Amino acid sequence: MYVIIVYDVSVERVSKVCNFLRCFLAWVQNSVFEGELTDSQFLRVESGLKEIIDENVDSVRIYILRTSDAVKIKTIGVEKAQLGTII
Amino acid sequence: MKVNYYILRNGKLLRKENTVYFVFAKDESQPQPFSAEVDGEEVEVETENLSEKPEYERRILPIEQINSIFGIGRVSITSGVISFLAKQKIPVHFFGYYGHYESTLYPHESLLSGEMHIRQAAYYLDRMKRLKLARKFVEGAAKNILRNLEYYQNEGKNLNEEIITIKNHIANLDQYNDVSELMAIEGTIRNIYYGTFSKILKETFQFEGRTKHPPENPINAMISFGNSLLYGVTINAIYHTQLDQTISFLHEPSERRFSLSLDISEIFKPFLVDRTIFKLVNKDVITENDFVKELNGCLLNKSGKEKFVRDFDERLKTTIKHRELGRNVSYERLIYLECLKLCKEFLSLKPYEPFVIWW
Repeated sequence: MYVIIVYDVSVERVSKVCNFLRCFLAWVQNSVFEGELTDSQFLRVESGLKEIIDENVDSVRIYILRTSDAVKIKTIGVEKAQLGTII
Repeated sequence: MKVNYYILRNGKLLRKENTVYFVFAKDESQPQPFSAEVDGEEVEVETENLSEKPEYERRILPIEQINSIFGIGRVSITSGVISFLAKQKIPVHFFGYYGHYESTLYPHESLLSGEMHIRQAAYYLDRMKRLKLARKFVEGAAKNILRNLEYYQNEGKNLNEEIITIKNHIANLDQYNDVSELMAIEGTIRNIYYGTFSKILKETFQFEGRTKHPPENPINAMISFGNSLLYGVTINAIYHTQLDQTISFLHEPSERRFSLSLDISEIFKPFLVDRTIFKLVNKDVITENDFVKELNGCLLNKSGKEKFVRDFDERLKTTIKHRELGRNVSYERLIYLECLKLCKEFLSLKPYEPFVIWW
């Protein structure tokens, strides 16, 4: 599945969430990650996020799409994402 | 699906925040970005905070998505990242200045099987069985070459003569009773095939036979580079099976090299490497400017390598509906499936038939 994760969490947990998501997905801009995940990876992301955030205060939204073909992404302004596997 | 990362720049892999960072100097002309001279002595720059310094750039590789890393530029690694990648079972392949395969940072084998090991070795020791497999590898390679030629025959190139000769060679494979003879015939087929390159490719690039160590002209440079990449990809595939990397059948197994990969990649070269070259040249993607001519050879430069890797990687990710499995598999996966077919042969479950392009 292709996921887009957007988070709005308290300052002291922002970097924790960011570093955690970096292990799985590509950073596209502040507080936004996206990329391809398998079912099991998705479960690990979900449970990992639950452990980090305070569910009474913080909010994480996950947009789940069946494949990357199902989404069309357009950027206006600066493209901050570092995608691609050729460095 | 996990992906391969290809690093063309010079830089350093670090372990940070439980994932892998690749840090490189923004200004490529700096010869050694990670050491500085202090009081006339060379000192390693503190790598811990390197990614925050303004003169360096970083890329973060999500550890969970890495299948393997191809270090084509000069990639340094730290001990932290070695143990981390080993734990995550990610091989790192290194390529030399001339674009040749140099070595692999190989994580410890996790799929061990004593039975498979013994059976694979038994196939090597049994002369007839070894011969049978070697013949299959040559047959697979030759048939895939044939498919390439037939494709260009349909495109209007006159390759009739070569096609008939190669077909004859394939029909006569059974009469050779020695692996070295098979190697020789494999070489003959390849020479006929390389002879057709001048007809298939645009005139801008001259090709007069295969030269290596170092390659003499652009086409040879691309063949060498492509074969090295394929070699790495095949090592990845074998790593995910119980097969032993060192016991090979067509190529003589020798010390300190993963020779089974040479056997298997033989089958896939026409399909993955040569077609990449045909496309890049005939569609004018790659030009004279993508090569550097040196005293005694010719090499791809950075932009050339990038173009080649881009197309090669796209090809690996292309999917095709598999007839037997009934689902889509990527071309890279086909190499893995090939290894599984070998496993089945060793366990006497199903006779091995080499992969031939079926579409």
